[in-house]
Amino acid sequence: MMHPDPLHDAARLQEISDLGLLSSDIDPILQDVADRAAASLGLPVSLVSVVLDEALHVAGSHGITGLWLDDVKGHPVEWSFCATSVRTREDFVVEDARLDDYHSTNPLVTQDGVRCYAGVPLISSRGNVLGNLCVVGMEERTFSADEMELLRGLAVEAVQRIEARARGHD
Amino acid sequence: MLQRPATPDRVPGYNLEPPLESDAVASLQRVFGAERGSVVWNDACRAAGLFAGRIDSVEYLRRVAVALGKSGGAAASIARSIEIRINTYVRLAARASTTAGARA
Repeated sequence: MMHPDPLHDAARLQEISDLGLLSSDIDPILQDVADRAAASLGLPVSLVSVVLDEALHVAGSHGITGLWLDDVKGHPVEWSFCATSVRTREDFVVEDARLDDYHSTNPLVTQDGVRCYAGVPLISSRGNVLGNLCVVGMEERTFSADEMELLRGLAVEAVQRIEARARGHD
Repeated sequence: MLQRPATPDRVPGYNLEPPLESDAVASLQRVFGAERGSVVWNDACRAAGLFAGRIDSVEYLRRVAVALGKSGGAAASIARSIEIRINTYVRLAARASTTAGARA
């Protein structure tokens, strides 16, 4: 029996909309989280991604100014590293994307130079995976357990803050 | 409804084709089911002042996506997906065109 792809789950997409995560403007809460993630791990890029059905929407970012990704605030979902966590509900790490079965042919790797990635899921209190908090680098890299724990803590904070805002408490 | 041409305008290196009406309808049907997905699309086309089945340009597709976004809920998330796919294609195609022009 085939299981439905969580990316296409109507309740998940509904909650993303309900939480006000679809604006193409910078989200100040998620911008702050992305800035702190990049600084803490010493990597050039961090994204707070909202994974939609067919695209990744950048809701908060650090380090993409001047890139096409900043103009578009997203990209097709088939290029998304973050979609993996929506499907598995777990962390996803790629230490060298050139060696990854799926992402070695990803245009973000072949054309834009992405090499390493670490992302943790943003799981709402309703249990939906909204997207990821991730860091990205242009050199291969390993990620320690402490670094992943730090990302997980920031992801929890991000969800708490956007849910509080949606309730009118932030 | 227009079908994807045999030789679409792919963005070199990114293997990205311009999004079509059929892609958008398929997105809605994957989430809402075939019947409701079609109804939602037809309603969005009507709200945009356009005819479903005749969305034959990226600009028309963008107009319908904007109308779809105003319906809120999961449809708004799908609308944002469509917009991002349009914007990615337009942005990267323009850059490829500029690069090709510079080489000529």
